[in-house]
Amino acid sequence: MAETALARPGRTTRRVRVVTSAVIVTVVALAVLVVPPLAQLDQQAVDLANKLDPPSLAHPFGTDDVGRDLLLRCVYGLRVSLLVGLVAALTATVIGTAIGALAGASGGWADRIVMRVVDALSSIPHLLLGIFIVAMFRPGVWPVIVSVALTHWISTARIVRSEVLSLRSRPFIDAAVSGGASRTRVIVRHLLPGVLPQAGLAAVLMVPHAMWHESALSFLGLGLPAHQASLGNLVQSARGSLLAGDWWPTLFPGLFLIVPTLALAGLAGAWRDRINPRRKSELML
Amino acid sequence: MTAEPPVLDVRDLSVRFRMRGGRDIAAVTDARFAVAPGECLALVGESGCGKSVLASALLGLLPANAATTGSAVLGGDTDLLTAGERTLARTVRGRRIGLVPQSPAAHLTPVRTVRAQLEESLRELTGARGGELPKAAVAAAARASFPEGHLDRYPHELSGGLAQRAATALALIGDAPLLLADEPTTGLDRDLVERTVDELRRHTDEGRALLIITHDLAAAERIADRVAVMYAGRIVEIADAEAFFGAPGPRHPYAKGLLDALPEREFTPIPGMPPELGALPGGCAFADRCAHADARCTGERPVFTAGLACHHAPTGRASSPSKEPADA
Amino acid sequence: MLELNRITAGYDRRDPVVREVSLQVTAGEAVGLLGPSGCGKSTLAKVAALLHRPDAGTMTLDGTVIRGWRHRAPRELRTAVGVVFQQPRLSADPRLSLRELIAQPLRSTGRRRDVPARVAELAPLVGLSDELLERRPHAVSDGQLQRACLARALVLRPRLLICDEMTAMLDASTTAALVAVVERYRAESGAALLAVGHDRVLLERWCDRTVRWDERDTESI
Repeated sequence: MAETALARPGRTTRRVRVVTSAVIVTVVALAVLVVPPLAQLDQQAVDLANKLDPPSLAHPFGTDDVGRDLLLRCVYGLRVSLLVGLVAALTATVIGTAIGALAGASGGWADRIVMRVVDALSSIPHLLLGIFIVAMFRPGVWPVIVSVALTHWISTARIVRSEVLSLRSRPFIDAAVSGGASRTRVIVRHLLPGVLPQAGLAAVLMVPHAMWHESALSFLGLGLPAHQASLGNLVQSARGSLLAGDWWPTLFPGLFLIVPTLALAGLAGAWRDRINPRRKSELML
Repeated sequence: MTAEPPVLDVRDLSVRFRMRGGRDIAAVTDARFAVAPGECLALVGESGCGKSVLASALLGLLPANAATTGSAVLGGDTDLLTAGERTLARTVRGRRIGLVPQSPAAHLTPVRTVRAQLEESLRELTGARGGELPKAAVAAAARASFPEGHLDRYPHELSGGLAQRAATALALIGDAPLLLADEPTTGLDRDLVERTVDELRRHTDEGRALLIITHDLAAAERIADRVAVMYAGRIVEIADAEAFFGAPGPRHPYAKGLLDALPEREFTPIPGMPPELGALPGGCAFADRCAHADARCTGERPVFTAGLACHHAPTGRASSPSKEPADA
Repeated sequence: MLELNRITAGYDRRDPVVREVSLQVTAGEAVGLLGPSGCGKSTLAKVAALLHRPDAGTMTLDGTVIRGWRHRAPRELRTAVGVVFQQPRLSADPRLSLRELIAQPLRSTGRRRDVPARVAELAPLVGLSDELLERRPHAVSDGQLQRACLARALVLRPRLLICDEMTAMLDASTTAALVAVVERYRAESGAALLAVGHDRVLLERWCDRTVRWDERDTESI
């Protein structure tokens, strides 16, 4: 009881955090989904007369080195980054859940082999592996998604496996077996439902991670083609102007990456608090 | 009860939990008791009666959705309910209240030896330094009868009994005038229960006050000077342990029922279950399980006087409800 | 009814927690197995409940020699034994209401139609109100949850009931109430009982005979 009392922030603080995160995520989702089709504005519109303008009323985020409006570029960039993040995270979660559940539920040598492979893979830095995969294809959205998905299922596999293992040894599984439940029933009715929320949570938590990863690849010039505005590309192309003292082409895409992903992580955290089954009586009596 | 001022004086302590949906749970209501130096008070009751919440309130470990009223004055000067977390952490827990935990194995740090943990607590609580530490650690272990030869073991290498002693040794280091033992015997074997309890008694006899919270009536009988029985968040009887467990026996019908449920006595359960703390009846909370209940019991709440909260209270100690015809 | 013959079991073959233990429970008999905590008696209980495969030894249940444990044991044999564990909170799927908890074995064995009748029959027996039946484990006390776990163990009418420290976490009154439920069921069904525990007074009051762990263990510790 002491742990929960001390570790959990107060109810009000948590609520403020959740509401703030939800507002940010909603605004971002609207901006990304509604603005591009409605705005009829050309994010590629080059205006060499106004290149590298600092933030102003006409261009709230300023313009880049060829005079493109950075606010518009950021919205489009976020749209691409978010899409890549979502698809990659979902794919990675499906792969990870399947492999983790298989290893955890079967145990024995199958488990040992799978986990050794996982260990081997996770000893290689994600980014390095990702770069290797991207390098095999032509630049584009799909190679980036594949690269992020193939390097990110590992942690999910670990989470799902350990969750399955810990559930498997719980007395309520024994009770189900004793009550005549078949192998399939134990997995479908007792193990999977206990694991799915965790896997879903891992997926949501992975979206920001995948977005960062995409940005990192693009920043290195290995991700999306340069004309496609992703947040990573924007930061990458702004490197030069930053050295000249022009801060806005770096700052705004950076904020566009950090703020929504943190908000998403905040929401995921709140979800985790909700789904984690309370093992003690609610009242700690 | 005794001439000496109490170490802990609890007055009208109530704890309310605000639950989701605006529901209120009355976990503890108007608890009032005192513990004197050299005295052991056992707080007994079924699981869920609010006794653990009471212990958490005294240690300032309630969750954020709990609100307390009343007072719990430690040593005549510090109200535990209003003292801030800083005061509690720096001057109360460990120093003025020693906590003997429910599961000693979980209370000890698994990756450090008993000696390392004792020395750390000594440094923290007594200011012992360098050269004196090893001797002080041995002495601290000895006070709880923890064998010196086992000091370099890790918690998982200890038997349940030794783990309990190690935890007790840690609780005793601050030389706190009040020991608080929250279900210290849960899951222990009978022999071990008796040994643990006897050791706690020994520390009480050295002049400490001991508040032991337990559902183990046999352990309470062995150790306590006085017994407080808690039911549905309220203390319904406080009595001298000897009179309570021996003759003339408990005065409250619930306390009597609890004793009669013991396998060494009648082994008959009290019918029904305690009411929900979120939906307590207006009258006596025990009325619908009580053989003596009448209209007055369901209609009005009994006042706690002379150590008892029951409408059928005999005025003197001489008679007890158990002597009345049991049928109703 | 139950015959355990020189059972050796544990979680590490090199260091078994149960060594060559033999134990018999005849039909309708109530046997108390008494031993200190951590001595391996819970492992033996799991072997007897067909939930843990022993490393060596033989077991017969109702005259049938047991050849497989857990899912390798035929369903009819598994369900002939009802089990109640020490910690109700770990023994209950946190997502299920108490009603669903009690009904699980019926659903597992394709007797969904019996659910309303059996639950309605058992709930008052263990003292659970309709309102409590709808709650999930986190909203009830340990005692109330253990009542549901006992009902779950009885729902398929087992011929042998194994109670592993069923009341160790509970107060005197709830203990007496649960023991009374078990005894009522046994009187009506003639089922046998293996009660595992460390409380001598309780087991001697409850069971026809008690065996001390160290007497059973041929390699006395």
